[in-house]
Amino acid sequence: MSSSNEAAIDEFGVREDVSLLNIFVTFIRLGTMTFGGSVQSWVHREIVNRQRWLDDKTFLSGLGVALVLPGANPVNIALYVGLQLRGGLGAAAAVIGMLLPSFCLILLLGAFYREIGHLGIVHFILAGLAASGVGATLNMGIKVGRRLPRDVMTILVAVCVFVSSAILHWPMVPVVCVAVPVSIAWYYFIAKDSKAKDGKKETKNV
Amino acid sequence: MFDSRLIALAFVFGPLSLLSFGGGQALVPEIQHQTVTVQHWMNDTDFADIFAIARAAPGPSTLIVALIGWQVAGFWGALVGSIAIFLPSSILVYLVGRWWQRNKQSPFRKAIEKGLAPVAVGLIFAGVVVILESAHAGWLGLVTTAAACATLAFTKLSTYSIVGVVVASYALLYYVFPVLAGS
Repeated sequence: MSSSNEAAIDEFGVREDVSLLNIFVTFIRLGTMTFGGSVQSWVHREIVNRQRWLDDKTFLSGLGVALVLPGANPVNIALYVGLQLRGGLGAAAAVIGMLLPSFCLILLLGAFYREIGHLGIVHFILAGLAASGVGATLNMGIKVGRRLPRDVMTILVAVCVFVSSAILHWPMVPVVCVAVPVSIAWYYFIAKDSKAKDGKKETKNV
Repeated sequence: MFDSRLIALAFVFGPLSLLSFGGGQALVPEIQHQTVTVQHWMNDTDFADIFAIARAAPGPSTLIVALIGWQVAGFWGALVGSIAIFLPSSILVYLVGRWWQRNKQSPFRKAIEKGLAPVAVGLIFAGVVVILESAHAGWLGLVTTAAACATLAFTKLSTYSIVGVVVASYALLYYVFPVLAGS
């Protein structure tokens, strides 16, 4: 969208020429879109697919960190993206940008809710926004899922996490506390020697 | 008096920040317990109202503390409450992120990257199912979800125009087919 989408992404998948103001403004815009709990997909589309500030792999590992650590997902994702782009100041610009629209809007809504809260159209439109947010999340899941390596362990971890939280409704904290160490240990100790193969795959994905 | 309220807000919500796993949705009952039962800042009915407003606004569900802070101590209460709920967890994410940046070549980081990816994908799809369930999405909701997913997959339309189209078509539907909105 902005100046040059062709500008180089460094070997770690991060653009190096993004200004603080640009980060702040982009996250203000993203902050107005965080309806219905689907913020990660809007951020993914804007930061990875359109602005090309981060590559897919860098974004996804950050998303993993953001989802696993405590804190609101939109805030954590913004913080991670800003930190990658411009260090601590970038993180602050992204987080403040992300929260500013919601903060103002929620106080405005609080002031006017008694007048507009009973209006059916408000709830109807909000439901529509939530539904399109789910569509965005689904789209991101498919895109990202297709880029996962096709080994048995990766698929097993993804399916187990999905089944235990979506179908069995187990609480997320214990599920993540078991799945994350097991999955990391697998790649650290067992799948370590498949480096050469992965190197080729990675260049193809970028 | 004014100051002690702000300090109370910081001390009630600050520790909760580090417990807000999974995006903070799970934290709302604990926020309610603290606000209504422990601190007596408001009653259950007021809290239900505030919860509805927080759901209607964009942003994380934990931003409900901004409204609680507003009720307790006006604008500065809203600000202090928000900082209290977001700062501690943000510092933790910042520290982890810094480690992450400094150890770009570490084999451990590579294992973490690879290991987190399938967990994130599993959580993304679980999120889709959980939101659809909790929203009791009817066929209109499911159609919207499918249409948004397809539009995002096959076009380069900007995110903002997609949201604009959703708002406009829902507003139109509301007036043309009021029956739909009743469901």
